[in-house]
Amino acid sequence: MFNKDNQLEKFKDAETIIGASIKVKGNFQGQGSIIIEGSLEGSLKTDANLFIGDRAKVTANIESKDAIVNGEVRGNIKSKNYLAIGGTAKIFGDIQYGEISVAKGAIINGQLMMLSEEHKRNDKLKPEEKAVATDK
Amino acid sequence: MHVYIYDDYLNKSKYNKTINRIEIRLTDLGLNGKIIRLGGIKNIKGTIQNEIKLGAKTIVAVGNNQTINKIIGAVIDTDIYSDFQKKTILGIIPVGGDNSIAASFGIKNEEEACNILLARRVEKIDLGIVGQYYFLNQATIQSLGTILEIDDYSLEIIKRGEVSIINLLSDKNQSIKSNPHDGKLDIYIKTKRKDQTYLSAKKLLITNPNNKLLVDGVIEMATPIEVGISKDRVNVIVGKDRMFE
Repeated sequence: MFNKDNQLEKFKDAETIIGASIKVKGNFQGQGSIIIEGSLEGSLKTDANLFIGDRAKVTANIESKDAIVNGEVRGNIKSKNYLAIGGTAKIFGDIQYGEISVAKGAIINGQLMMLSEEHKRNDKLKPEEKAVATDK
Repeated sequence: MHVYIYDDYLNKSKYNKTINRIEIRLTDLGLNGKIIRLGGIKNIKGTIQNEIKLGAKTIVAVGNNQTINKIIGAVIDTDIYSDFQKKTILGIIPVGGDNSIAASFGIKNEEEACNILLARRVEKIDLGIVGQYYFLNQATIQSLGTILEIDDYSLEIIKRGEVSIINLLSDKNQSIKSNPHDGKLDIYIKTKRKDQTYLSAKKLLITNPNNKLLVDGVIEMATPIEVGISKDRVNVIVGKDRMFE
């Protein structure tokens, strides 16, 4: 889980950084941690952590493990583990999360829904384990 | 058997002392072998291929980036390549300037190069491919107006700067890590200070109607053009101070 002291530590060795001068269009998918400082349209998915900077503009449905959102997001967010919404964040879409913190000043226009324990557990399973879990 | 390929520019008298020093050092280390001077040879490809056929265990490029590219260009995608990859190792002795590839492999000067040849630390190295051309270091293009298409998405760069498609890092001061045997190209976009973009890909399509792609600092290519990677294509003798793990 993030806390104030270590929340940026996870992004020191981010595998992907999209700078402020970059416009991404399409289905952006990564295995490692992703930092977005520019703009993105389409979809955004990673198995690891996601950081959206305060100048970033994301028009996409987002899926990640942990996430920190400080910029503008137009789309639904699913953060399987922990979601930190900063005071500069503007979110227009529904949010699903394992755990959440929201800073003063954040704008959220959408529904907030906590993921069930079963949902979180299923998301952690491998595909073949998921099939067995569904059969049961 | 070691075969030393001397590039043609080494015929100039200003390199005589350096070449003498290298030859003495190689003899001291028991690494002396056959010397081929490219200066007097018209069929460079045929000559290099013939040495591999004759059983050269180590082909050593004595020269600069171009010398290495000449050797790789002589064997890659030819009938002899399979033998080259299985039986032959590429060594490098840098002489003069334009030696970023040697620097990437941790080979700083000719004396150190001789010691590195003796130590024989071998790494399998990927080669980048752009069009029909293979490259070791990197390809670069002006960033403004460049569009990169990767898998299911595209990146458009809206500020002036440079895009580098890196196989083998040539500048230790660059704030990124690049691994030339991970089967991936590292894409590094630097526009303003602190505005950096970094990601990796196996292949990408580059488009910029106003600028050309510069490959290994030498060859210019018009876009759109596809850049890819071919894994573990060359066995190279490297130094312990190489710019990758």
